[in-house]
Amino acid sequence: MLTDITIGQFFPGSSPLHRMDPRVKLVVIFAYIVLIFIPHNWWGLLLCVAYLLAGVLLSGLPFRLIFRSIKPILPLIVITTLLNVFYISGGQTLVQWQFIHITTGGVGNAVFIAVRIVALIIGSSLLTYTTSPTTLTDALERLMSPLNLLHVNVHEISMMMTIALRFIPTLIEETDKIMSAQKTRGADLESGGLVQRVKALVPVLIPLFVSAFRRACDLATAMECRCYRGGEGRTRMKQLHMRRSDFVFLGSAVVLCAALITLNILLPSSLI
Amino acid sequence: MNVLETRDLCMTYGIKTPFEKTALDHVSVGFEKGDLVGIIGHTGSGKSTLVQQLNGLLRPTAGQVLLDGTDIWAEPKAIRQVRFRVGMVFQYPEHQLFEETCYKDIAFGPKNMGLSDEEIDARVRQAAAYVGLQPTLLDKSPFDLSGGEKRRVAIAGVMAMQPEVLILDEPTAGLDPKGRDTILDQIRAYRDENHSTVLLVSHSMEDVARTADKVLVMDHGRVAMYDTTETVFSHADTLGELGLAVPAVTRVFMGLRARGIPVGENAYTVEQAAEALLPHLRKGGDR
Repeated sequence: MLTDITIGQFFPGSSPLHRMDPRVKLVVIFAYIVLIFIPHNWWGLLLCVAYLLAGVLLSGLPFRLIFRSIKPILPLIVITTLLNVFYISGGQTLVQWQFIHITTGGVGNAVFIAVRIVALIIGSSLLTYTTSPTTLTDALERLMSPLNLLHVNVHEISMMMTIALRFIPTLIEETDKIMSAQKTRGADLESGGLVQRVKALVPVLIPLFVSAFRRACDLATAMECRCYRGGEGRTRMKQLHMRRSDFVFLGSAVVLCAALITLNILLPSSLI
Repeated sequence: MNVLETRDLCMTYGIKTPFEKTALDHVSVGFEKGDLVGIIGHTGSGKSTLVQQLNGLLRPTAGQVLLDGTDIWAEPKAIRQVRFRVGMVFQYPEHQLFEETCYKDIAFGPKNMGLSDEEIDARVRQAAAYVGLQPTLLDKSPFDLSGGEKRRVAIAGVMAMQPEVLILDEPTAGLDPKGRDTILDQIRAYRDENHSTVLLVSHSMEDVARTADKVLVMDHGRVAMYDTTETVFSHADTLGELGLAVPAVTRVFMGLRARGIPVGENAYTVEQAAEALLPHLRKGGDR
């Protein structure tokens, strides 16, 4: 059951999106998340969705998987949509019953914002689905390296992130194992009220903490044994290289940005 | 009469994801009351998946697990009762200890069964005795014990529930030879005294050879062989093809016979080997 967690899970593959330079991917997807808030009219939004769709197709991932990433934030989408439908008024009135007042403007706004949120989530999950955590932190370290001038220890931060990401699956597996072991001894983790459930977690959490500390100690020893002493003078096995396709992709983001701004200027806003 | 039985048991992990993997493929085996069965197979052969199916930790994709003839998933809500009857000791069980004292940790299972305090006390002391744990250690924190002692506390925690079927996944992993021998002897003694069925998952052919009466060999999620220990270890070729080996002593015996020394039957424990070889040595050998 714990293995169902897919957020931040990497799905190996060899699609164009998988092979893209992670720095470019990071920048473009980060830019996309900002860009999604630029359009104020339906055409602009449509362009954003089309761009995302192209990305999904390029990634070669099954659509089912993409939709699964939306599931956790479904309540958020529903609540925002409802709030918009009920509280924003403008345009023609659709329903008028007692205090409920639904207008075309409200519905339009609701759909607009829901599409934005969905695109945002799909965009960011595209990044984690197609990039392995190690590559991702590697790219982050490279992109943040100018911060070294400000005496921020970029290497240490990215090493911590790598380690944290690396151990998420391990700890999930460990939790699963401990839960199985305690269930075997009759621990009831699935029923009872809130207090009972929290109490039932003690036999799982204590061994989990103990093992997390044990792993941390082992890892520290292992790193010291290999003479790890920070990032100074450390070379990389896998060098990152920008290829022509990476520049094309970067260019496409710039074009998207320009197109969205032009559309905003040319067309009237559809939002209220 | 089989106490525990599987019928066409199938298990597939990660259905409809890129990680889909068949771990069990139509497994049908039966375990009789009082059996001590060793389960062997190389990594990824489905041993662990199989034993986790047997006490309802995993739910089969298809097929059934029968405990005393009834499907354990007939009533999913009553699965806890199944787990009390089919006990399981995981690999590195010392990693699951959590209580302040060993006594409390061993009592965790019996307490969950809803037994009376006197009954729990009796069972904790009995289980501690089975695994050779000093009564003085019971009041200590499990985190202060040595690795071998922790392992014993964890095994006692499951034995205290007195399950009809006891499953142990690699109970000797990471122990020194003496600790290993003691635990294996205690497992046998537990079986003899309670007439329960014991399943022993192991990578060590020597452990299985000296402890088990029967051996179940798994390969790619299927049952490759299931027979008495002698019969299984006499098929050295088949085991070799499955990426497994016969015990070292058996290999020595096969080598001796290949050189024309008539050492008779195969031996698969050191004791048997000594018995078979002594007459030859007394005669001064046949060569």
